[in-house]
Order: sequence, then structure tokens, then C-alpha cells
Amino acid sequence: MTLLQLNHVTRLYGTVIGVNDISLSLASGAHGLLGPNGAGKSTLLNLITGQLSPTIGSVRVLGLAPRSSHQLLQRIGYLPGSEGMYADVSAIEWVTYLTRLQGFGAYDAKTLALQALERVQLAEHMHRKISAFSRGMRQRTRLAQAIAHGPEFLILDEPFSGLDPIARHTMTTLLQQWISDGRSLLISSHVLYEIELLTRSFLLLSGGRLLASGAADDIHTLLANVPSEVRLRVDRPREMAAEMLRDNLIDSVRITDDGELHVTTTLSAQLSQFIGQTFLDERYCVTEVRSADDSLQDVFNSLMKIHRGIA
Amino acid sequence: MNTIQRIPAVFFFEWRRALTVPRLAWMLALMAFPPVLLWLVRATARSEPPIEIAAVLVYVLSPCVACMMSVFLWATPALSSELEGRSWVYLAVRPHGPLSVLLGKYLVAVSWSIPVGLVSSTAGVLALRVDEPVDLIVVQCALSVLSCVTYSALFLLIGVLAPKRAMVMGVLYAVIFEAALALVPAAVNLLTVQYRLRCLLVRWMDFDVSMVRRSDVLREYFGDESATWHVGILLAMTISYLVTAGVLLRYREFTAASETDT
Repeated sequence: MTLLQLNHVTRLYGTVIGVNDISLSLASGAHGLLGPNGAGKSTLLNLITGQLSPTIGSVRVLGLAPRSSHQLLQRIGYLPGSEGMYADVSAIEWVTYLTRLQGFGAYDAKTLALQALERVQLAEHMHRKISAFSRGMRQRTRLAQAIAHGPEFLILDEPFSGLDPIARHTMTTLLQQWISDGRSLLISSHVLYEIELLTRSFLLLSGGRLLASGAADDIHTLLANVPSEVRLRVDRPREMAAEMLRDNLIDSVRITDDGELHVTTTLSAQLSQFIGQTFLDERYCVTEVRSADDSLQDVFNSLMKIHRGIA
Repeated sequence: MNTIQRIPAVFFFEWRRALTVPRLAWMLALMAFPPVLLWLVRATARSEPPIEIAAVLVYVLSPCVACMMSVFLWATPALSSELEGRSWVYLAVRPHGPLSVLLGKYLVAVSWSIPVGLVSSTAGVLALRVDEPVDLIVVQCALSVLSCVTYSALFLLIGVLAPKRAMVMGVLYAVIFEAALALVPAAVNLLTVQYRLRCLLVRWMDFDVSMVRRSDVLREYFGDESATWHVGILLAMTISYLVTAGVLLRYREFTAASETDT
């Protein structure tokens, strides 16, 4: 079943473009929404949750129009980017209240809220006022309100924001459990490694535009001709760079103040072979080589270069 | 479960949240100031005030000022407080959430303010020590209830119309329309709640305003319609304010720009 269908969606705030002509179709599963601050991630999530209407185009979530479908709101859970919790109530009161607004009776809502707080490991503290919670506890409470009514599609806006490493780990574990239960997830973040722990399917957004979408491997295919950067620590960087240029192995070269050699190349395999050979020949003393790995950060950086016309 | 069934959840939740010392102190202050002022008036007067004067004094201080201030403090920020606290988004993504919250908070404003009106009216009449106070108390209490019911809807609508400047707009509306224009004997005062309440005071207290009505200028000041008509108009105004606020909530986008990264 199609989880999300966006058809040429544009959202304007006056003359400012929030999202710009985005079309995509996502199947059920977990997806990451990536982009720097100001990329349009929250605008897109607001469109998906029906808080905003597209200026142009159409949005369908689980086959329904989010702005006009109460039925859809029963089926999604949303964790917004801003905190916005009532500080003067306890976690159980707040989650119960929001679950009641989902349409459950008082008893059922409290039972579901309790289960959700247990799931996020907050049952022990659920009678404490939210104002007394740490950032991580508040974030877990917010997750509890999103999952309490048993949605089939969970939408999270920057859920790791401001969390310490332990809280991040707890949140990641909870979301991994959610995904392993076979439910759908759309999670936005500008910290890429957090997403990589949850999914390999992602959407890259920048300046309101969708730069790329698909699995990480699909994106790598797009990047076949994009120069990748290699950094070396070597005893004679100038001579080595000259040799690389003479052999047409590199596109650009830079030597930093501390003597590190930065080169970009579209011939990664040949360059690797060259470096390995010089090491074997003991022509240069190479102490460190760092090259592009498979992380989304590199993919994202490369796509941004393409988008900005640098690559 | 539809909107109607969700309203009690909002009502009871907001009531529980409201039971704080500052809120209760405000409630007591609003209950107390009309009788205290009227007691001072009576203490300085040489004799018992005429019933007309007593009725007007209690009317101005209780159904007008105390009730209006109470509902103003409750209903006007109903939406803006959620937007400023960034909690609106949690309510907006619930089925029928915005309308349930609107109506639930309306009922909280009404139910919190009616006791203010009833206590201040009753105590105010008693403070004046008029003969046969029962009729006056009943009329002032009825006017207080109508004042709370209608003004709550009005200030709620103002809060939805201008959520970023809700309190300022509420004060401006109260001063310009309900305090100033309502006293102008022209067609514009027909649109105010004050006009209806004033007409009801005259009808229910059975005041003789024939002299005023004979004046061309003041003819429209107390109206010629029946009390039932005025009550009907007040209820119609209440419903129309609530419906308008509900429609605005349904179709306007209240997502704060600060909540988004773009």
C-alpha cells in the first residue's frame, strides 16, 4: 500500500517557498527525511499531517487527504519538532488527555496511555509533573502521545534533537522496535547517522526541493561521476600531489597548513592503487589515508555539491 | 466518537489544570469587588437607593464588568495560549481536535465565570441593603448567566480571529464596542451584547423608560422588543460566534512559523 503520495507539492509562505514542487511516492516501511535546518522538512511534515495545505499539488497519506480526513488522523501518530507540552500536568494526564482526543473513552485512554508510557520506559515516573522531567524524559513522553492510540504510521520531526547519548540510544532502540513490529515510520533529522541506524531509505531535502530519494545504494549510483575526496598524511605531500597530477589521477589538490593532502578524484580505484603502490615501493611515508565511506553524510555532501553546481 | 463526545475530555482536563491558587485568587477577586464597591456606596449614602439606581449599579459592576472580565481572561487566550505554548499542534492532529478544544474551553470559560456572576450579583444586591432584594437578585443572576454565555463566545471568536494579539484585540473590542458604542443610541449599538443586556434589565425590572423613549435621540436606547426577543438574539449571537470560530479553526492554518524550520 502507498504510504505517502505527493504530487507536485509546493507550499508558499507569502513569497517565500517552503517546499518546491515535490513529487514522490513511498511504500509502507521506514523512511528518513534528511536535510539541513531550513530545508523544508517541518513544512513537509506539516503538509503530511494536514496542518498546512499545499499551495499547489496534492498530498495523500494512506490514500487520504490529510487536511480533510479525520479518519486519517486516527491512523497517524505525530511527534512535532517543538516541545509544547503542558508543564503543569503529569505525563499520564497529558498522554491520557491526548488519547481521549483520539476518540477513546476515559478508561481506554488511560489504559492506552499507561501502555505507551511503559513502552517508552516512563511508567515509573508517569505521575510526576512534566516540568520536573529531563529533556530525554520529555522526548519519550512526546513519543508516548504519538504511539498511544496505536497508529500505523508514525511521523517524527527531529526526535533526537537535544538528547544526550543515552537518551538517543533509548530513542533509537524504541524506534527500531517500532520498525521491527512492521509499522511505518517517517523520521526527519539533520543528523544523518541517527537515521542510518533506523533505515536505508531516505529523502534528501534542501532549499525546499527534493534532492534525491530512495535507498542509499540508489543514491550512490547517482554519484558515480561525482568526485570523492581523499585525505592523506604523507611525509612529502607536494611531491606526491605532483605525481598524482602528472598521472591524471586527481581533479583538484589542496595542502593544508598542517601538511595534510586533500585531493578529489573521479578515479577512486586507480588512486587507491597508486597510493598502495607508493606505500609498497616506500617512495613516500604515508601515515594516514581517509577516503569517502558509505555514510549518508558523504552522500548528502555530494548531492549538495551537485545541487549547488559545485560538482 | 465525534466532537460532542470529546468535549467533556477537554472540559474536565482544563478544569483540573485551572484549579490553581492564582486562578482561584482571580476568581475570588472578581467575585468580591462588586459587593465591596456597592457596600462602600451604601455606606456613604444617607438613605436606601431607589431600586432603579440599585439595579443599574449592580448591573454595571456584576453582569457587565465582573462577568466580562472573567470570561475575557478565560476565553480570549483559549487559542493563543496553545499557539504561544506550541501545544496547539498536539491538539490539531487529533480527529475533531480543534473544534473539541474550542468548545471545551468555551464551556470552561462559561462554567468558571457564571459563579463569579452569581456570587457578585447576589452579594452586590445584599450589600446595597435594598427592600425586597429577591427580584433584583434573580434578574441580576439571569443577566450574569447570559453575559457569561454570550461574552465567552464573543471573546473566543476574537481570540481565534486574532490569535497573535488576542488580549489586545479583546480589550479594544470591549472598550470600543461594548463600553463606548453600546452607549450610543444608534443602530450600531444593536450589534453589542451590552444593548441586549440593558434592554433585558429594563424589561425584567419593569422600569418605566417611557420618557426616554419619547426622545427621538434616545428612542433606540432601550429598544421596544420583548425580553424573549432579546434572549433569543443573545443566544443567536452566541451560536453565530461559536460557529464562526469553528469554521475559522477548520479552514485557517494556525501552525506557528516558529514551529517550523521553514
